Amino acid sequence: MALWRRLRALPTWILPVALGAVLLMLPVLGLDFSASRQIQLACILALLVSGLNLSLGYAGELALGQAAMYAAGAYTAGMLSAAGHTDIAVQLAASGLVVLAVGLLTGVAGLRLGSWSLAMTSFFLVLLVPDVLAVFAGRTGGRNGLSGILGPTLFGRPLDPTGFYLVIGVVLVAWFAVMRNIVVSRHGVALRVLKQSPVLASSMGISAFRMKLLAYALGAIPAGLAGALFANLDLYVSPEAFGFTLATTVLAASILGGTTSVYGALAGAAVMQFGPSQSSRFQEFALVFTGVFLIVGGVLVRGGLADLARKAVTRLDRAAGLTPQPASGTEGTADIPPIKGATLAVEDVSKAFGGNRALDGVNFRAAPGRVTALIGPNGSGKTTLLNMVCGFYRTDSGRILLDGERLEGATPHRVARAGVARTFQTPSIPDGVTVLEAVAAGRYSTDRASVLSAVLRLPGFRRVRRADREEAERMLALVGMGHLRGERASALPLGMRRLLEVARSLIAAPGVLLLDEAASGLDEDEVDRLAELIRRIRAAGGTVVLVEHNFRLVLDLADDIVVLAHGQVIAQGPPAEIETNPRVLGEYLGAAQEVA
Amino acid sequence: MTIIWGGLALGAVYALVAVGYNIVFISSKTFNFAQAQLMMVGTFVAHTGLVTLRLPVALVVLMATAAVMAVAAVEERLAIRPVGDPEAVLVTTLGAAVLLNGLTQLVWGGQPLTVPFFGGDQVLELLGGRVYPVEIALVVVAVALVVLFTWFSRRFVTGLALLAMAEDREAAMLRGIDVRRLAFWTFAASGALAGLLGVFVGPKTFAVATLGASLALKGFVVVAIGGFGSMPGTLVGGLVVGLVEALAARHLGSEYASISVFAVLIAILLVRPSGLFVRTRERAV
Repeated sequence: MALWRRLRALPTWILPVALGAVLLMLPVLGLDFSASRQIQLACILALLVSGLNLSLGYAGELALGQAAMYAAGAYTAGMLSAAGHTDIAVQLAASGLVVLAVGLLTGVAGLRLGSWSLAMTSFFLVLLVPDVLAVFAGRTGGRNGLSGILGPTLFGRPLDPTGFYLVIGVVLVAWFAVMRNIVVSRHGVALRVLKQSPVLASSMGISAFRMKLLAYALGAIPAGLAGALFANLDLYVSPEAFGFTLATTVLAASILGGTTSVYGALAGAAVMQFGPSQSSRFQEFALVFTGVFLIVGGVLVRGGLADLARKAVTRLDRAAGLTPQPASGTEGTADIPPIKGATLAVEDVSKAFGGNRALDGVNFRAAPGRVTALIGPNGSGKTTLLNMVCGFYRTDSGRILLDGERLEGATPHRVARAGVARTFQTPSIPDGVTVLEAVAAGRYSTDRASVLSAVLRLPGFRRVRRADREEAERMLALVGMGHLRGERASALPLGMRRLLEVARSLIAAPGVLLLDEAASGLDEDEVDRLAELIRRIRAAGGTVVLVEHNFRLVLDLADDIVVLAHGQVIAQGPPAEIETNPRVLGEYLGAAQEVA
Repeated sequence: MTIIWGGLALGAVYALVAVGYNIVFISSKTFNFAQAQLMMVGTFVAHTGLVTLRLPVALVVLMATAAVMAVAAVEERLAIRPVGDPEAVLVTTLGAAVLLNGLTQLVWGGQPLTVPFFGGDQVLELLGGRVYPVEIALVVVAVALVVLFTWFSRRFVTGLALLAMAEDREAAMLRGIDVRRLAFWTFAASGALAGLLGVFVGPKTFAVATLGASLALKGFVVVAIGGFGSMPGTLVGGLVVGLVEALAARHLGSEYASISVFAVLIAILLVRPSGLFVRTRERAV
């Protein structure tokens, strides 16, 4: 255990770096030809799998066209080489760029589609590879394959087999460093937000489409690099290498290693390379094995080998007493900085779903420094109205204004960027991130840092990351959850998740904060804390719109109450007035009319 | 006209795969990637029965139906029931598809095998084109199947239960429908159907292990055009895909056949993402 404690004291990137060094040292220790070839093929497969992990595991997109990207990379490099451009660095760059372009093009068309459609469309792309090559048979050799690829060179000098092995190793290590830097950065968290729910992503100001495209196009790059390396490994490429079998092997390796992991790709690729695809004796069983892996992987090991490793680490940590004891909660003592609230005005908004008039000429106004409550029986149109403000539904008629700017017709992420933040009836928290990261994700669209700066860890990225952490700490202290900063966010109890959503919304300093049934499911103590928090947001100048069933809480908190019934506003005014309004009592509280 | 007939027959094959997709989709809102592979197994069983064992047609039909139904039942139990979310089901049914591909290659080898058609193979002249009896049979079977299914789902309690389940699984459960059992038997039935159809499809496509992937994707294009869950849509989709493929192969060259179908797929998906025969619903939070 002492050894484990010492190991854990090292930074987490030590292990992968050491592994990379061993990989690069292997030829020095003497490797026979077939072992070396197997390792190189495993590295190439690992690159493919890693790209799939980025789009499938992190962004949750079932895009299975890696084999087609791989083919594009291989043929780009092969044709360059056949034309005399043998420098491997040039080929890698060209393949990467070509594949990025292919990824962007196919992504723009394909990513509008949902899960199955995208999966099938991208598989179709794989099926088309031989046909496309046949169309350009003059350049690609068509179905006979592309021969005449020259031996690779680097900076003018020819590469011997060991040199080429090192090139593969360096590319592999470099890509995994890039992948790791993306995944642990705010972009990685944003991808998980997207995977959790595109609705959540867009209500946090993240364009779901652009994020998907980013993951998909970035995931294509390693496939292109792998293709260039593959073309130079055998100096021959043919359409058969990029078929259905490869596509399913890559998927199986990804699932086996764990799709939502960085280094799982290595483990999965190694298993698939040294397992089923190994020797010719097993060749005919390869498909059977791949099929079994896919079924067993899909049914049993949800997180793959990476998840097993994570669980083992957690268990060892606990045994070694490394798990930090949660400190007692510091109650919300931090001050809320002044918030520049905006005025939300809903003017004459109507919406019909088929024949059902969900909203009919609704008018209300929420002002800075005030809590406006929206109440009404189930089905009265409260949530529809919220969704309309957030841009998830289009208005049939009427206007929605934020400080005079029109919001209706804008996409949800634009509405969010204009300063509308919201929480959800069922808290929506991405999986696999800490409480601190989940809160910091709320700043994704307010303070920008490019993917490139995250990959290279440029000063701009470091500054934003520091700001992310500081702000998130402050927000957590505000809601009294500072002691939970390192916990897994999605595993928190309901009350904590609601407060986390409030913190995540507040961190973007929104003009309007929409709370959708924020108090439902909370115990008395938690409701009090929430009420206190809302009062302080109001005192700091924020605009709060509260959709709530808890009538006591609403009377207690709200400055203005808007009562909806059957899609219409039936009453509007201060709590004292609403409390005694006979129509409200009849419609909403179900009280008999004689009370009035 | 010969091209048109060939295209129609091909389209009918794809439509038959699509009908299988739809039956499973309606009953359990899942997408069975292995549907085409089930049909492929049916063609192999038909080959063994008709060519190797020289059994009577009726017996072979029964054999193929029963065998593939059993395979489908096993698939449902192992690869679909234990899996929770629909995306993982795509992975496991894909696994089942790969597994079936591998197994059939082990058992029957990689070479295409002939499946004779019981209706004979003398070429007929019809409306100025040449057509094989099996091609006519395929078109007739596809149309009959869609009509039959539509009639069945409106007329019988089981059919109505299916529609109820497709509309709202939980509500159907509350109405006393054993959703899991119904889903299982529908899946098995889709397998039985695939086996039965193997006897019709085999003579057109041959029994070959590479049949699955291409059939699976073209069948999907048919569903994408017609809309998920729409039975009449499969006929229209099959018509479009079969004709596009046959005409492109004739006029542009064989390498353009699949590319043209892909272009149609992309165009349809961009214009009407939920297909031609299914209404889009506004998204809800």
